[in-house]
Amino acid sequence: MTDPKSQDIDVHTTETGFKYHRGSALSIFKSDRHEDFMALIFAAVIAFGVYFFIN
Amino acid sequence: MVYTRKNPALLIIGVIMLVYWLAVSTGMLDGLLKVLKTTGSKPEMIQLSLIFGVVGVVIGLWQWFGSHTEGELDYYSSAIAGGMFILLVAMLVRWYLDPLVRLASTAIGPVIPGKRYIHGVFGLNYIVLGIVAGMIIVNVFKIPDWAQNGVRISRLGLKTGVILLGTLYSLGELVQLGKLSVVLIGFFVLGSVGLVLWMGSRRHISNSMGGVLSAGVGVCGVSAAVAAAPVVQAKSEEIAYTIGTILVFGVICMFLFPVIGHLLGMGYIQFGAWAGTGILNSAQVAGAALAFQPRGIETLKVAEIFNITRVLFLPIIVLWLAVWYVRREAAAGVTVQQVDTSRVIFEKFPLFVLGFILMFALSSTGIFAPAQHYQGRYFDNSKSKLLEEKDLNTLKAESGKLQRDDEKQALARLLESKKTQSINHDTTLRGIVNSGVLSKDANTVLTKAHNAVYHTAKKISAFRKWLAWLFAFGLTGLGMQITMAAMRQAGGQPLVIGGVVGTAKAVFSLIVVLLFVRETI
Repeated sequence: MTDPKSQDIDVHTTETGFKYHRGSALSIFKSDRHEDFMALIFAAVIAFGVYFFIN
Repeated sequence: MVYTRKNPALLIIGVIMLVYWLAVSTGMLDGLLKVLKTTGSKPEMIQLSLIFGVVGVVIGLWQWFGSHTEGELDYYSSAIAGGMFILLVAMLVRWYLDPLVRLASTAIGPVIPGKRYIHGVFGLNYIVLGIVAGMIIVNVFKIPDWAQNGVRISRLGLKTGVILLGTLYSLGELVQLGKLSVVLIGFFVLGSVGLVLWMGSRRHISNSMGGVLSAGVGVCGVSAAVAAAPVVQAKSEEIAYTIGTILVFGVICMFLFPVIGHLLGMGYIQFGAWAGTGILNSAQVAGAALAFQPRGIETLKVAEIFNITRVLFLPIIVLWLAVWYVRREAAAGVTVQQVDTSRVIFEKFPLFVLGFILMFALSSTGIFAPAQHYQGRYFDNSKSKLLEEKDLNTLKAESGKLQRDDEKQALARLLESKKTQSINHDTTLRGIVNSGVLSKDANTVLTKAHNAVYHTAKKISAFRKWLAWLFAFGLTGLGMQITMAAMRQAGGQPLVIGGVVGTAKAVFSLIVVLLFVRETI
């Protein structure tokens, strides 16, 4: 029986032949909201880095 | 399915970067960098190649020799190899291909009057060359299997860049540009959505196709099309048609807009306003703005304000389309499944726009430009900060050319004190340079006076460097996603309608910008 959490389920294939099970051909994240959150986290990390380490 | 490929690719990229770090830091490449005129980038080359070289080697060893089972860690960490692949291509383009093209273009000489070289006219800089390199890699050579998953993180780089861009605006800039963008974008977004819906009904495409296409063409491209799809109950092939149309039109605009902008002699504000209004997709707006002004951030700042204003119109358009769709279907006697519009708006609203606003608010408190970074800016009277006698004589000889009283007074004050006295004084003197009234020599002296007092806070300079690399990374990766197969998805009525409305929007927004937008905001 297929594990419902398996990455093998719901697999899509792009025109270049790459297979993926979540996100879209343009993003690895399962939704735009998820991608936006990650961008916010990266931006916050960079901003904190600049604030604390550049003097 | 396990995404991580057990191969040495990432390790090899890491080793290449470390070898490069060693070669640059020991001065082995000094001769080459001097020829390419990239000696100024040496600290950046050393820093980036060391950091990412170590990352590549450590993670590359783990990916090659470690054991991997499917799950979150496998899925996301497998993207690092593709991300490093994009970064390597972006580095090669920025540090080598771009300077080489500039050297060759300069050697050929000016192609049009006004000392305009081929690379200037056609915008052949690291942004355009990075996108083209990405397109060639994906369409001619194919993305290697181990890099396929990572290529899909390029949009994350663009979104992070847009959020951080918020640190570079002043309140005055945002208010002025915001007012202008709301008027322009409001007119063109609502106008193009209405035009697509009207053309769609005339050409008998389905309501769902017309709805999703209007959001894509009118608002902000792919994200808007995806956001509007549930309220007009669009089928997946209709979304694919819309994305294909936006992609074809966006790629053409991204390459064509900067060329037209340079040929028409547009300024940064004019071009930024035009690109932010006329280009359909957010990523291509950033690409065109950076292609127009690759070594500065002004055009990108203007274009992104327009782009973000456009995104802020998304809830209005989704509501409009929801009401429009229900009425059209009801008129045709079709029972429509109810969709929770407010939930769609909440779920699909791009959160990174709020991040941009948050970053702007944070920056407005002054934490990234503390007073000590500007210590002595206007009060340092050391000899190196003062104009020399010959400089003063150059300015005195041309002072009669000025007509405006404020400019005359500013110049007289400079001649008296030999240096710029305040930020307002500096702004007026920069205005004299920009007006082109004085000779080149006199402008050089005024620029020298400006440079003696003006410097960007170190933290702000660091943000600019991050932005340049985030956009270079994002747009090189974007090029790797522009496949011929994806563009072939466009076709039929959606392409005709999208092409007509997109072209009309680009042409009319150009006319409006040239007539009403000035460079003095």
